[in-house]
Amino acid sequence: MSGNGPKKKIGVFVCHCGINIAGVVDVEKVAKELSKYDGVDFSVDYVYMCSEPGQKLIEETIKERKLDSVIVAACSPTLHERTFQNVMTRAGLNPYQVEIANIREQDSWVHPDRHEATVKAARIVKSMIEKVRRNQNLEPLAVDITRRALVIGGGISGIQAALDIADHGYEVLLVEKEASIGGHMVQLSETFPTLDCSQCILTPKMVEASRHPKIKILTYHEIESISGFVGNFKVKIKKRPRFVDPDVCTLCGECEKVCPQVVADEFNMGLSFRKAIYMPFPQAIPGTYTLDIESCLGLLPIRCGKCREVCEPNAINYDDQEEIFEEEVGAVVVATGYDLYGLDNLGEFGGEKYEDVINGLEFERILSASGPTGGQVRRPSDGKVPKNIVFVQCCGSRDPENHNPYCSKICCMYTAKHAMLYKHRVPDGNATVFYIDVRTGGKNFDEFFQRTIEEEHVLYVRGKVSKIFKEGDKLIVWGVDTLTGRKVEMEADMVVLAMSMVPSENAEELLKKLKISTDANGFLSEAHPKLRPVESLNAGFFLAGCAHGPKDIPETVAQASAAAAKVGDLFAQEKLYHEPTVVSAEEELCAGCGICVPVCPYGARTLNRERGVVEVNEILCEGCGACAAACPSGAAQQRNQTDEQIFSMVKAILKG
Amino acid sequence: MKVHYYPGCTLKEKAVNLEETTVKAMKILGVDLKEPEGWTCCGAEFPLSEEKISGLAAPARILRQVESEGGDKVTTTCAFCYNVLKRTNYALLNDPLKHKRINAFLKDDIKIDHETKDKSTGFDPYHGDVSVVHLLEFLRDEVGFSKIKAKIKRDLSGLKVAAYYGCRLLRPYSEVLMDKPDDPSIFEEFVESLGAQVVDFPFRQECCGSYISVSEPDVAAEASYRILRSAILGGADIMVLSCPLCYYNLDRRQGLIKDKFLEFSGFPVLYFTQLLAWALGEKISTLGFNDHYFNPRTVLEKVVKSEVAQ
Repeated sequence: MSGNGPKKKIGVFVCHCGINIAGVVDVEKVAKELSKYDGVDFSVDYVYMCSEPGQKLIEETIKERKLDSVIVAACSPTLHERTFQNVMTRAGLNPYQVEIANIREQDSWVHPDRHEATVKAARIVKSMIEKVRRNQNLEPLAVDITRRALVIGGGISGIQAALDIADHGYEVLLVEKEASIGGHMVQLSETFPTLDCSQCILTPKMVEASRHPKIKILTYHEIESISGFVGNFKVKIKKRPRFVDPDVCTLCGECEKVCPQVVADEFNMGLSFRKAIYMPFPQAIPGTYTLDIESCLGLLPIRCGKCREVCEPNAINYDDQEEIFEEEVGAVVVATGYDLYGLDNLGEFGGEKYEDVINGLEFERILSASGPTGGQVRRPSDGKVPKNIVFVQCCGSRDPENHNPYCSKICCMYTAKHAMLYKHRVPDGNATVFYIDVRTGGKNFDEFFQRTIEEEHVLYVRGKVSKIFKEGDKLIVWGVDTLTGRKVEMEADMVVLAMSMVPSENAEELLKKLKISTDANGFLSEAHPKLRPVESLNAGFFLAGCAHGPKDIPETVAQASAAAAKVGDLFAQEKLYHEPTVVSAEEELCAGCGICVPVCPYGARTLNRERGVVEVNEILCEGCGACAAACPSGAAQQRNQTDEQIFSMVKAILKG
Repeated sequence: MKVHYYPGCTLKEKAVNLEETTVKAMKILGVDLKEPEGWTCCGAEFPLSEEKISGLAAPARILRQVESEGGDKVTTTCAFCYNVLKRTNYALLNDPLKHKRINAFLKDDIKIDHETKDKSTGFDPYHGDVSVVHLLEFLRDEVGFSKIKAKIKRDLSGLKVAAYYGCRLLRPYSEVLMDKPDDPSIFEEFVESLGAQVVDFPFRQECCGSYISVSEPDVAAEASYRILRSAILGGADIMVLSCPLCYYNLDRRQGLIKDKFLEFSGFPVLYFTQLLAWALGEKISTLGFNDHYFNPRTVLEKVVKSEVAQ
C-alpha cells in the first residue's frame, strides 16, 4: 500500500515464542502475507527470535540483503527491544531502525480465536512497518553524572548505605529529621539471635559515619523536594532550627538542669521525661543539645530564657532560623524506616487505655540498660515487677479484614527474645506468648526460639487474643487455644503487643512529594521483586531497610550495602545515556502558547517569553508524549513517534 | 423536627418505661415522633435466626409502610427491633434472591390509601432504602449531642455510668454497622453529653445470655452477673442500656443472680432514655422506676443533688 514515506528495504521476523504465539497465531501465514507488503524485502518466521540462532538469522539477513529497517514480531518491547537493538548495531545499522510488533501480550495471549488473532497479528506488524519506514537514525543523549549521593534517613540502613558509598570513594549527604542518627535500632535492648547489645554494635557505626571524611551528616534536617533526573538531582533541604550550635556546645548539661519544661521522652517511647532542651540519648550524634521549640516556653527571654543565661560557651542562639538550601546529587538512597502501628487501632486490647499494655518498642526500652528502669523489668503504671506477663503476636498484622494484610516478619523473633530476656531478669515470673504460628526463617533463628521454649520455659499458646481488660490491679486476657479448642482466660500484670510494622508516618508525605512508587501498604516498590530488589522504579532512587518492607537488622544491613553497591555502579560509569526518543519543540512552528508546559510531568519544558517559544531540556524528557498530544500547532513532535507516523500506523491498522 | 418512630411491641407491653421516657425526652428535644400506621411486631429475633424468608416479610412490611408515608428514615430504641430492621434492609439490598422472595410475600398485601380509606390492590415493592437509625444515632447525628448538652437541667457530673451495648447494636458488624464492634464509643459519647462520667467497663459488649434466659435461666444469670460485676468493679453508680431483653436479664433477673452469687446485692440498671428524660428535667416519679427490680431512685438522688442553674 503506502507509497508514502522514504523507500526502505524492510525485513520482517515473526517469532513463534514456542507455542506462546504460534499456538494461537498462524505465524507462517503472517510472514507470508507480510512478504507482499510494500517495502518488505524479506519476511520469515522462526521458533525463538531471541535465541542465539534467531539473532544470527536477523543479523545475517540484514547484511546479505542490505536491509534498512527491521520488524521483529514477538513479545512486548519491554523484554527484548534491547536485545534486537544490539543485533542492529552488530549488523551495522542504527539501533533505532528496529521496531517490535507485540503479537504476544497484545494478541496471542489475549485472543483465543486463531483466525482473528492471525488477522490482528498481521495488522499490528503492518502498522509497525509504517512506523519504521519513517524512523530516523538516533543517537542516545549523553549526560554527565554528579558523583555524590543523598541518603534519606539515619537509621541503621541509612548509616550502612552512607558508609559503603563513602568507602567506594564518593561523597554522601546523610539527612535525618530527628536530632540524632541511630533510628529505631539504637532504642533496642539486645538483638536476636545472639543477644548482642544493640547500642554497643550500632554506636561504633554511628561514630564511624560521623568521622568519615566523605560523609556529611545533616540531622534535624528534612527533604523539601527533589528535582532533576538520575545522575543530576537537585535537592532542596530544610534545616530545622535547633537553637544550639553543635560546634560550640560542650555538653555540660547546665541548660537541661534549669529548663522548667518537662515533656514525654520520645527516645524512651514516652516512658520517661525529658526537658525541652535535651540530648536524645548519651551517645547521640551529633553530640549536642537541641532545643525542642514545640515544648519550649518561648524564646523571648522575658518568658523564660533560663537556658541561655546559664550556657557558658554561648552555644544557644534564640535567633536560629529555618533555612532551605539546595544540594546537587546523582543518586538517592531512600531509607526512611518504619513506625509501629498505633495501639489505638486495637481498642479491644486497651492499648491506649491501660498503661501496662505496651508495644514492643516500649518493652525494648524497659529491657534496655539505658532505659527508664535501667533494664529492670518494671511495669509503667506502678513500677511493680510483673510476675505474669503476656505477649501477643500479630497485633495488626496478617489481618486483611481489619488491619494490615502482611506479616511483619520480625515479631516472632523479637517476642521470643522479649520472653527470654524477661525470664533472665524475672526467673520466677511466668511468660506466655499467644501466636498464630511462629515464623523463624533466618540463620540460627529457630534454635533461638526452641531455647526460649525448652530452656526458659516460656509458654506458647496457639491462638488469638480477643480482648484485654482490667479488673482491679490485674489485666485479664481473653483468648483461645486453637490446639485444644478451648477459651483461655488469663491474668497478667503486663501485656506486650507485637504491633505491626508500618511505613514511617513522616515519610509518607515525603514519598508522595517525590513521586516514588509505593505498594498498597505504603512500602516502597522495588523495580523488580526478584531481579532488581534494591532499585526503585524511579531511576536514580535506591531502597534500603524497612521503608521497603518489614525486615530484621541483618537483612536491612545487607540491603543497604546492596543499594550502596548499586549507587557505586551508577557512579562508576563515565556518562549516563538517555533515550533519544524525546519530544522537541520546532521553533518555526511553536507559537509560544505554553500549553505543553504544565502538561509535562517531568518539568522538561519551559516557555521562553522573550523569544516566544518553548525550550526543552531533553535530558528531563521521558518521552511520554503528553506534550505532543497537547500541542495545537504540531510543533511538539516526538522523535520516531511523529504525528505522521501515528496517522500512518492507524491507517495501516484500519486498512488491514 | 419530625421523624418516623417504630416502637416495637415490647415497648408497648413489657418495656413501657422505655417507651414513655423516649417519647418524653424527644418531646423536650423538639422531635415529633410518628409511628407508621398499622405497624406490627418485627418478629424480634426469629426472622433472622433461621433462613426463612417468611419471617423477613413483617419487618419489610413495616419499612415499606414508612416509605409509603413519605419517610426515608425510621428511628427505633429497642436494640432487637433495630437489629432486625437493619438486617432486613441488608438482605434486601445485598441478596437479589431474598429481595425477590420477600417482595413476593409483600405482593399479596392489600394496599390501603390512608386518606381516602380506599382499599386498592396496588402494590409497592420495597427495596431496602428506608434508613434505620437507632435513637442513639439519631440523637448524635440529627439532634446533636451538643444540643442535648445545652438542654440538660440536672447536674450529673458526679454520676458514674456504665454504658452497656450488649450485642444487638453492634453485631453482625457487616450488617449492622453502628459502631466498631470491638471498640465502640457512641454510647459513651451519649453519656458524656448528659454531663455524667463514663467508667471503664470491659464487659460492655459481652452477651447477657439473651433469650436463653427462657430455657436456661441459670446460664443467663451467670452471664448477666459477670456484666454487672464488671460495672461495679469499674466504679459505676448505674448502668444504662437500650435493649428490653438485656434489661430483663440484667435487672429483672437480679433476684436469681442474688441467689446464685451471694456477694451480689443488687445494682441499678436503666434504659438510656430514662436517664436522658431525667437529665432533661422530667420528674423522677414519672420515669417508671417502680417497674424495676432494683429501683434506681435512691442511687440517683444520692449522687445527683443539684440542678443546673438556668
